[in-house]
Amino acid sequence: MPTFARRAGDLVPGIAFLLAILGLIEVAARTGLVNAAVVPPPTAVAVQLAQIVAGGTFAVPLLQTLATLFAGYAIGCAIGIVLGILMGSVRAIYDLFEPLTELLRPIPKPALVPALILFLGLGSAMKITLVALAAFFPVLVSTVQGARGVDVTMIDMARTFGYRPIEILRQIVLPASAPYIAAGMRVSLGVALVVLVVAEMLAETGGLGGTLIAMQHQFMVRQTYGWLVIVAAVGFTLNALFVRAERRITFWSSR
Amino acid sequence: MNGATDERTLKLEGLAKRFDGKQPVVVFEDLSLEVRAGEFFSIVGPSGCGKSTLLQVVAGLIPASGGRVLLGGRDVTGEPAHMVYLFQQYAKSLLPWMTAEDNVIFAFNHRLGLGPRAARARAREHLAMVGLEESAAAYPWQLSGGMQQRVAIARALSADPKVLLMDEPFSSVDALTRMELHALISELWERKRFTTILVTHDVDEAIFLADRIALLTRRPARIAELIETGLARPRRAVETHEDPRFLALRHALLEGLLHRPDEANADVR
Repeated sequence: MPTFARRAGDLVPGIAFLLAILGLIEVAARTGLVNAAVVPPPTAVAVQLAQIVAGGTFAVPLLQTLATLFAGYAIGCAIGIVLGILMGSVRAIYDLFEPLTELLRPIPKPALVPALILFLGLGSAMKITLVALAAFFPVLVSTVQGARGVDVTMIDMARTFGYRPIEILRQIVLPASAPYIAAGMRVSLGVALVVLVVAEMLAETGGLGGTLIAMQHQFMVRQTYGWLVIVAAVGFTLNALFVRAERRITFWSSR
Repeated sequence: MNGATDERTLKLEGLAKRFDGKQPVVVFEDLSLEVRAGEFFSIVGPSGCGKSTLLQVVAGLIPASGGRVLLGGRDVTGEPAHMVYLFQQYAKSLLPWMTAEDNVIFAFNHRLGLGPRAARARAREHLAMVGLEESAAAYPWQLSGGMQQRVAIARALSADPKVLLMDEPFSSVDALTRMELHALISELWERKRFTTILVTHDVDEAIFLADRIALLTRRPARIAELIETGLARPRRAVETHEDPRFLALRHALLEGLLHRPDEANADVR
């Protein structure tokens, strides 16, 4: 994909287009062109959203979702990084784990929800496990790739200064793989949120996804869309924060 | 000089390196050599003759297939302390996420365990030796090629090596920078007197810097000639290159490199 230098005016056409679409939906809903019970006018959704936000009802589901997300994400990323560094550096470990991970990786993670509910119930243990599994694989794959690509000169340099293998993994291979790890973690973050919202909707035990599905079950259409906007905002904000952190951590790699 | 007992004497005894496989390659076999304590020793040879492999075996980066490496009379196994390696690909040997100063600290502080202030002072001192005190806070990718190699030199020396192994370290900088680096390494060597092996295919460089030069044959590599340069020190960029002795050595080595190729295997002195 070509990259363009960002300028202040760049956002104008895109935002104008977005507002035009919302305007069209508004008109279509108000004039009865579409069924307002299914597609409520955006202004009505906005009013509902304002109530949810002002009334503070968003806080508990949002915090539930974020807490579960971060717990699972942290576990999945940590295991993915450690195993990825080892698999990318030690041939025997790679050969041991590669068939297993390649077999498990393509499973669509929401398909695991029924099995996990059997083992762990409907609560946060199930959700955290699912998020950890979903976050784990993208991080693992890109960490392995990063660790395998570390220049042998760097490793030899550390060896000639008397660094032992475990120190070389920590002080050379890990930081040298950081751009790959970060790229994997960015993908994982998106996947983790998707999987978590799905799990919350299936379990119907709180969180943004649980609230979303509860609204729909009660035919509260406007609220459903209002909560949808909140979920979207969470995804957008998390990604934006991550990209900023990523640039700061891997400042040396994009030159 | 009682080089045999000095702990900086580097001895290769019957050193061999083979790569097994479908097409086994004998890089060298039964190579013996004594590099005297504090000597600047150059190894020249045609490209592909295995001189870099030889240096990597000496450094313990790859295992020997036979023979021994002795430093100060003691067997060297694995990655030996007190031997530091200067890579041809200096840019890749510097850690891009660390400043020049932190790259230097990386070389010694896992052993010395100095506090932040003392470590910084030691790094600055060595950066000053290579004229880079001002660039301590710069990242490697902000520095020119010659400056990067000087950071690598400062880093190598900060580890206080008894032996410095240099694998064509000046081959990828421009000619003028190369001569500056020659003068710098020559001056630092005279000050510190670490035993040095320089592997190069640049005959001028080999003569300019060395006390002795080994000319290697093609694979399997053997020492075809061992030459004492006998040039006055300190070496000077302009005068040394014009010295009749320098020119005679240059003539002999180039003859050896260019006109020996096929009968090289048979020609052992």
